[in-house]
Amino acid sequence: MSNKMTGAQAILKFLGHQGIEAVFGYPGGAIMPLYDALLDSPIRHYLCRHEQGAAFAAIGQARSTNSVGVCVATSGPGATNLLTSLADAKLDSVPLVVITGQVARPAMGTDAFQEVDVLGLSLSISKHSMQVLDGKDLLPSLERAFFIAQDGRPGPVLVDIPKDILLSEVSFPALKPVQPNTTTSADADLIAKANQLLAQAKRPLAYVGGGVGMAEAVPQLRDFITTNSLPTVSTLKGLGAADADHPLYLGMLGMHGLPAANLAVQECDLLIAIGARLDDRVTGKLDEFAPHAKLLHLDIDPAEIHKRRQADVAILGDLQAILPQLQGPASAAWCHHIAQRKAAKAYNYSQADDAENIHAPTLLHYLSEQTKREAIVSCDVGQHQMWVAQHMTFADPTRHLSSGGLGTMGFGLPAAIGAQVAHPDKAVIAVCGDGSFMMNVQELATLRRYGLPVKILVLDNQRLGMVKQWQELFHQERYSETDLSDNPPFSRLAQAFDIAAEEISEPSQVQEAVARMLAHQGPYLLHVRLDANANVWPIVPPNTANHQMWEQPQ
Amino acid sequence: MNYQLMLSLQDQPAVMERVLQTTRYRGFCIHQLRMQQGPKGLSVTMDVSGQQPIHILTGQLRKLYDLSSLEIASAQPVGKTA
Repeated sequence: MSNKMTGAQAILKFLGHQGIEAVFGYPGGAIMPLYDALLDSPIRHYLCRHEQGAAFAAIGQARSTNSVGVCVATSGPGATNLLTSLADAKLDSVPLVVITGQVARPAMGTDAFQEVDVLGLSLSISKHSMQVLDGKDLLPSLERAFFIAQDGRPGPVLVDIPKDILLSEVSFPALKPVQPNTTTSADADLIAKANQLLAQAKRPLAYVGGGVGMAEAVPQLRDFITTNSLPTVSTLKGLGAADADHPLYLGMLGMHGLPAANLAVQECDLLIAIGARLDDRVTGKLDEFAPHAKLLHLDIDPAEIHKRRQADVAILGDLQAILPQLQGPASAAWCHHIAQRKAAKAYNYSQADDAENIHAPTLLHYLSEQTKREAIVSCDVGQHQMWVAQHMTFADPTRHLSSGGLGTMGFGLPAAIGAQVAHPDKAVIAVCGDGSFMMNVQELATLRRYGLPVKILVLDNQRLGMVKQWQELFHQERYSETDLSDNPPFSRLAQAFDIAAEEISEPSQVQEAVARMLAHQGPYLLHVRLDANANVWPIVPPNTANHQMWEQPQ
Repeated sequence: MNYQLMLSLQDQPAVMERVLQTTRYRGFCIHQLRMQQGPKGLSVTMDVSGQQPIHILTGQLRKLYDLSSLEIASAQPVGKTA
């Protein structure tokens, strides 16, 4: 059999060799040869209704499987529509390979129809990007893209391919699946110093970030926590890594962190940052973050060490290898103190039982119990995202898909589509705000087209809720452009796409409506009307230390 | 502080743009820049200054996949020349 084929055919064959079974995209002029070749390829293509939706779907697939996601778009507007998703994947360290068509080489640089310098546009929002300018470079570029996307700290890589290269004849060499580098073992001296810090600490605290899940080091983390009886807090991206049932697990820290978590950080004398980067939403006022603590920082990315705070000991490398080498049990007195504080600050869901309005935290807590933490939950961005983080628990970080670094509204529905494609037999739930849902609402058509049984929970307070909350608390209740009371009736909107839907507004309706949603065989939208005045508590005001958080007014 | 950085880069499209973008975004100003093409790629000498510790910049530059090597050739307080 000849190893000669078109560039477009070679790309698809290459993807197959990498184990890629599904890609997400949208066709157009410059990428047409690839779409023509797709007709004869075993690779499944999922047509999304906007390139941003396609890229978020690829992100959802990647994050829910801890493997590379692939999306495809044409040149010009197709490529620019992808850029927000590229930035999202960069900030959340998602292994993504983005393939864009480009105008043919003779037309490049002439302001041709649908020509845009996507290589230039991608520089600051990708881990790496390439433009293929010679047919012989096509497959090496793709190999490099797959390598870089997975190497060390994962990230998105863009490969821009002119149309004439897609059409040209290339040779397809013998290839093996691209494997990322095996990381070197951690420095033994640093391990010894870390263990010295652990031995000296009276009040150690594990601070778990998204790096744990991406390193597939969840079992090692849980052993480390259990063996050493370590109180533990988590970032938004770290949720699911630590066992939520562990008595010393305190939940999320930071701007909307749980009180027991934030207070523990402020009291600890050793903060063990594990695959976390001390970002501003976590630290609050940096100078007053964990003021009594030494910092032991474990990460794969050297650039994160000493970036926001000088570490006392930093260990670079694979968390799977590092964590089993660390030991230093927390004192019984510290554990007792943490457990007492956790009990005292535990959220009281029964307080909301007789409320007139549906209480989003109670609903989400109930949903979490009903799905037994096994569902994959994707979120949009805003108040509902923080309620999910505070009131739902997850069996694994791959079960919680949330746009953390970029905070991209419109993430939830397309990410859920990608997760459902990757996990056809799992329950996948998109928890959306009414503002965010409208940002990629066109993807209802994708759900319908493929019959994907994603469940959509729209938490509708008819406001751009988080911005409204800030206007209320920090801008003297001057509400500017946050009233969304002219939202469409979301259940009727879903029904127009032939998706089953219902609307509820009374607390007494919640349990039966959730049961109907979860039992439905196909896609389903549950539109939940909330009180527009509900806010997310606690909140750490800007430029304030985390222990000075504002808790729910009584 | 003023710093002189010496970089070896693979001669790939957009490689200089990557270096310049990273330097600007991480809060450093470029005062002098020399680039020479050679058989092993591009040799770049760059004088920069910034308020942040230099590792904030060099840590990010070292993540560029087209960077072969990076050295801090000199470091001087602002007002002194290398």
